Amino acid sequence: MQGRASLATHATVDAAPHALPAITRRRAFWRTEWFLFVLFVAPNLFFFSVFSFWPIIYSAWLSFHRWDLIAPVKQYVGIENYRYLLYDDVFHKVLLNTLTYTIGAVGGTLLLGLLLALLLNQPLRWRDGARAVIFAPSLLSGAAISVVWIYMFDPRFGVIARLLSFAHLSSPTWLTDPDWAMPAVLIVSIWKDLGFATVIFLAGLQAIPRDLYEAAKIDGAGAWWRFRSVTIPMLSPIVFFLGVTTILNTFQSFDIIQVMTKGGPVDATNTLIYYVYQEGFVAFNAGRSSAASLVLFAIMLGVTLLQVRYGERKVHYG
Amino acid sequence: MVEVSVLAAPRGAGRGISWPRVAGYAAMALAVIVVGMPLFWMLSGSLKTTQEVFSFPPAWLPASPRWSNYADAWQAAPFGRFYVNSLIIMIAGTAIKMANAICTAYALVFLRFPGKNLIFLVILAGLMVPEQVTILPNYVTLSDVFGQSWINTYQGIILPGAAIAFGTFLLRQTFRGLPREVIEAAKLDGCNHLRLLWDMVIPMSRASVVTVTLLVAVSKWNEYLWPLVITTTEQMRPLTVGLTYLVNRESNTQWGQVMAATVFVIVPLLIVFAFAQKLVIEGVTAGATKG
Amino acid sequence: MTKKISRRGLLSGVAAASAAAAAATVSKRSTAFAAPAVVQSTGSTVDITYWGSWSGDLGKAEQEVVKRFNESQSDVKVDYQFQGNYEETAQKLTAALAAKQTPDVSALSDVWWFKFYLNNILAPLNDFITAQELDSSDYVDSLWNEGVRNGTQFWIPFARSTPLFYYNKDAFKEIGLDAPPATWSEFAKIAPQLVQKDGDTVTRSAFTHATGASYVAWIFQGVDWAFGGSYSDPDFTIRINEPKSVAAGEFYRKAIQDGWANITQDPDNGPDSDFYNGLTASTMASTGGLVTIMANAKFDVGTAFLLEEETFGCSTGGAGLAVLASSPPEKQEAAFKYIAFATSPEITTYWSQNTGYMPVRKSAIASPEMQDFFAKNPNYKTAVDQLPKTRQQDSARVWIPNGDQIIGKGLEQILVNGQDPQAAFDEVAKTLTEEAKPVVEALAAL
Repeated sequence: MQGRASLATHATVDAAPHALPAITRRRAFWRTEWFLFVLFVAPNLFFFSVFSFWPIIYSAWLSFHRWDLIAPVKQYVGIENYRYLLYDDVFHKVLLNTLTYTIGAVGGTLLLGLLLALLLNQPLRWRDGARAVIFAPSLLSGAAISVVWIYMFDPRFGVIARLLSFAHLSSPTWLTDPDWAMPAVLIVSIWKDLGFATVIFLAGLQAIPRDLYEAAKIDGAGAWWRFRSVTIPMLSPIVFFLGVTTILNTFQSFDIIQVMTKGGPVDATNTLIYYVYQEGFVAFNAGRSSAASLVLFAIMLGVTLLQVRYGERKVHYG
Repeated sequence: MVEVSVLAAPRGAGRGISWPRVAGYAAMALAVIVVGMPLFWMLSGSLKTTQEVFSFPPAWLPASPRWSNYADAWQAAPFGRFYVNSLIIMIAGTAIKMANAICTAYALVFLRFPGKNLIFLVILAGLMVPEQVTILPNYVTLSDVFGQSWINTYQGIILPGAAIAFGTFLLRQTFRGLPREVIEAAKLDGCNHLRLLWDMVIPMSRASVVTVTLLVAVSKWNEYLWPLVITTTEQMRPLTVGLTYLVNRESNTQWGQVMAATVFVIVPLLIVFAFAQKLVIEGVTAGATKG
Repeated sequence: MTKKISRRGLLSGVAAASAAAAAATVSKRSTAFAAPAVVQSTGSTVDITYWGSWSGDLGKAEQEVVKRFNESQSDVKVDYQFQGNYEETAQKLTAALAAKQTPDVSALSDVWWFKFYLNNILAPLNDFITAQELDSSDYVDSLWNEGVRNGTQFWIPFARSTPLFYYNKDAFKEIGLDAPPATWSEFAKIAPQLVQKDGDTVTRSAFTHATGASYVAWIFQGVDWAFGGSYSDPDFTIRINEPKSVAAGEFYRKAIQDGWANITQDPDNGPDSDFYNGLTASTMASTGGLVTIMANAKFDVGTAFLLEEETFGCSTGGAGLAVLASSPPEKQEAAFKYIAFATSPEITTYWSQNTGYMPVRKSAIASPEMQDFFAKNPNYKTAVDQLPKTRQQDSARVWIPNGDQIIGKGLEQILVNGQDPQAAFDEVAKTLTEEAKPVVEALAAL
């Protein structure tokens, strides 16, 4: 912290116009790329240090304590919070939910996005309009739009129940049924991210040189084979990109669950990020919440490191 | 669907009615209806009375549109002020984040420095810290900045989100994909780094910069939890927080008004999108596929 | 930098420096941030900040109360600031405490105030009560006593509600009843007749349960008492898994299994909308929903006391006002002046008529103005008549941290998953006992 801090202060002083003599004195240093590098990167690093890294370090420290967020004393409890999580049925369920939610949301978004992109890649009229409508949800506030979805899911007044009734199906009681709450939340999540995935897949499809298909055709490849041997490999950087964005989005997806289910019923939609919030700011178990947040941090870091490693390779391949 | 796609006849082939094309239009119409339904439901709900919102079976459209929901919602809380705050937060917040993203990405790609990759990883790690974890420590940090409280100030709302990892990551990808020779040539011509960044790198990566700007701006506009926590008076609150002024858990919530206020929140983004659609989609596209 | 500086000071200093650096990097037109507003005291007036949880129509009524107070005298000026719902208000107060920048008076709900009390955050109010000659005997006893600890008042009832039994008079008439039976077992006998079906689909059930962890634990409290059980003793001995409470839980479960009761689809807002839309013939919900229910129901709405079984039981809920101990004495005194005003007979009359909350003063209830109001709103009278029969809530729900959520989750297991009540409540009791430990320790240390 000290070292970084002094760098930042340095940069400011030297960059400020009134510090001209300093600049002359250090002209040589000012010219070096090192200095410029520091100047360019320091603000970003600084804000991260103060507003992200410090909180997570603090959390790491808190995770070995029991604290209700108010009491002046934070009681040291060793690894008690972690041990609690290790044996807690609710936390196991939370981990499983997080896995279900992530796989469901990422898989659903990517698969449906690809299908829609393939569709909109056809020479159909009005497809630009369709693309705009499909993209729109990704711009919307999750909290605001979830309120609308609650009413759509209502098994009595909701539009979904109405549509199901046309097919002579009775509506599940979505948000109050432990078996249907997760699918409901997943639907909203996928709906919201779908447009972004579609647009990006579409771009990827349009960037594939046509002659690759022609060549494959000449080789006698059927439609499915051409899809497998040309489209899929050519799209792999896109799949990677969307994979990263959607996974990270999903891990931190909070608004939809907070507004629609509050993690319920009976923890059916309680995911890791929600658990962190719930334990911290509803139950005021700062230690337990911190321990859970470190678990989340570690998982995300692991996933990202894997992806970066893989992604770096991808970038070189082009 | 796959079948249809790969058969993708070049433009104009087969003017007559063909089965795949009919299926294509049907699928497209279905997709638009399904995806657009919540938007429709929100608009129709915003014109309904509370009774109509809770009518059974649900009515597609209100018997007579109740435009007063909009006026009532607007008057229920200072929405004009909320708009101003949302705009300030979005513009200032996006500007700082973008400056950070561009500078950091530039430094990571074009400037020599020992241990660059490590620094990149440190920045990426910033992406992994969930907002929920940062709330309390950041509140405490901001309560005493040089003896001043930044709680309930614009800088208090904006600065904790000033750092950026994802945008840095994306721009770094793009910058790395720029033709090296052009950059090197400019350097040899005596072009300094600031000029290089401003006159060459940014224009050449315009699409990606637009994308990241869009993503950042949208997320700024939609921020809820932090602005709720850090603001204490309605003069400082953005629209997303303002929405809660209409929801009463304990009694009479006018759902028509809530829907109308939801429209307030999302319409600016939809309008901007409608006008800038081409640019936005091109930007998003280029950002993702480059590199 | 020879002076000893704290880490915080250093951090914030660097923050400002780097903010400047960032701004400078962004563009030449570096953004100047507005300086935070400085609170100024005007002459002898004491300015106090009041955090509350009321928005929408309730927020307007609250603003009006504050306005009337500010106009009624010139010593104290109150600034009302809405902080989100009860939960969010408590969260913000926690953050404010950590930052040592608290309001002077805050609304705190039944499940939140105790946590702050335990940490010595709330100012004892007895001296103010004496000094300002507040007539505590005029407050409704059950409401007033909930905020007393060891003879000291910490929390004054303000926006209080109770559960109420709502029924569809038309539906009950169809089966020849003018009012619901007095007990739950009698109700269970007639309930199947209230159910309406379209083929296999139930179009109207006889009763709808609240869900949503916090709300259901509040409603069930009265039922548990009626069956002779309780969540806990005041000393945190947990009793929810004892036979009488389990019997109440079994009654809840059986109502669903027998097909005459269901659970609401609107966990956030309670079963109110199910009821006024005619999807259920009866329900238990907060008195706070009365105005909306009356406004939206297309049938004759009846209200009754909660049903009995072995005995009568009904809890109170909602929020009260507390003064923060961190405020300077003159602000505490000013804050209490406001509380006294906001709960005065005149204002509680205005407040309850405009919000549906219970009048907290006995004299307000007896006033001609209120009696006149009752004549026009007989259902409202039911709620007020029930008020003297209400009881202070069991410590397990309101005083154990997260207790309402823990009990609520157990009830959800019973209602939603059809779990055996004994098993569900055993689990709840185990968790409650565990979570009560730090509270008992803290109380011993007080």
